[in-house]
Amino acid sequence: MARRKNGVLIKGLILAPYLILLYLLQSTVFTHLPLFGTKPLLLPVAAAGIAFFCGRVEGGVFGLFAGMLMDLSYNQLTVQFTLLMTFLGILIGLMSDTVLVQGFPSYLLSCALELALVSAYQVLSLWVLGNAPVPLSAAVGLRQTLYSLIFSLPLYYLSRFYFRVTRSGRNI
Amino acid sequence: MKDLISKKVIRIGVAAVLVALLAAVTVALSGGSAGFASMLSEPFFKPLKSALTSLVGSLEHVYDYMYRFDEMEAENAELKKRVAQLEQDYREYTEISEENGRLRSLLGFVERHEEMTLEPATVISWTASNFSSSFTASKGSDAGIALYDPVVDEYGNLVGQVTSVSGASCVVSTVIDTTLSLGAQMYENGEAGVAGGDFALMKEGNLKLSYISNTTNLVIGNTVITSGSGGVYPAGLVIGTVTGIAVGSSGLDPYAIVAPACRIDGLTHVYVITDFAVSE
Repeated sequence: MARRKNGVLIKGLILAPYLILLYLLQSTVFTHLPLFGTKPLLLPVAAAGIAFFCGRVEGGVFGLFAGMLMDLSYNQLTVQFTLLMTFLGILIGLMSDTVLVQGFPSYLLSCALELALVSAYQVLSLWVLGNAPVPLSAAVGLRQTLYSLIFSLPLYYLSRFYFRVTRSGRNI
Repeated sequence: MKDLISKKVIRIGVAAVLVALLAAVTVALSGGSAGFASMLSEPFFKPLKSALTSLVGSLEHVYDYMYRFDEMEAENAELKKRVAQLEQDYREYTEISEENGRLRSLLGFVERHEEMTLEPATVISWTASNFSSSFTASKGSDAGIALYDPVVDEYGNLVGQVTSVSGASCVVSTVIDTTLSLGAQMYENGEAGVAGGDFALMKEGNLKLSYISNTTNLVIGNTVITSGSGGVYPAGLVIGTVTGIAVGSSGLDPYAIVAPACRIDGLTHVYVITDFAVSE
């Protein structure tokens, strides 16, 4: 029991600075580095990576905290990304546990799925509020997804490194 | 299926819902001004974000110096030419300025602006969202800033509005954000309309002026100012300049494309209007 608690603590101590670093990069550094007027998202890529390697439980927990930081980086009061990214963490973890083959192509697919669903949610929100025509906002969403996918390569190695160090995720 | 949706997974789902409920309660208790996540994280993230933003700014200056030297040299030559032109313009300006001073006094602009209470703040960070335009400023309710306070730049041009506030910081949605709309009018002819963000124009850094009754009064180059109707914004703040005229998809709703007077991309310092006299 004590050993298990220590394991959780170690995972938390590794993931917390990782999350904070990505949050700070996303909300301060990369807001100054838009490509074709679009800024990248790092937190969804990292959340997909952890869910892919570590499974639905850690994916869900990491998604919960990454979602909270996404809401903060978007300067919004609501917690829509907290809920959405928790759900996506569980979903990708579940897919990784059952249907996906471990490897970079599947990981890339998971990242693309998470980013596409995050963008689709944003496009849908704007459409519901009547603030933007769908083709225009969808084009921004697509650019956001593609630009963010560039970061899936470095984050792949970091997620895999975390998984190997903690040897976790498959003991649910 | 029972194995896939384990108790742990259900617990995480419940935790996410509880966080959402907690946030909703906090937002409701704060009168819609701040979420619990921002309240909790603010003391920790604010100094880190300020330091990083400052570092990025410095690096951008170094980058500009290193890679834009040739460009800057050409720019310098161009600027020398422009100085000569400006000296000529200055002589003309002196005459116009005297006339302008008289007109300003007549309109009572100076007197009205003296009644404004301004709270200076610095821009800490910009939103990471590609679907909105907002930034976090360094002061909040502790400095007397309240929800929906107007925000201007150092020249008095309208920057936006406070859309959420906590103790030590506030979030400002800029004039080009799609959620913002305000009563506006043309400075030159008094033609009224509604200025607000539009998604397509936001990506170009512009906003639109719509619901204009007499479209013949739409002239490129005209200045758009706040009308003061509704009492949220003081009257007479400069929003921007008309740079184009377009028609909506229905073909029946012409609108003006307005370039903001404030340089949104280059904002570092802003001033929150915490109090002003409402003009009748």
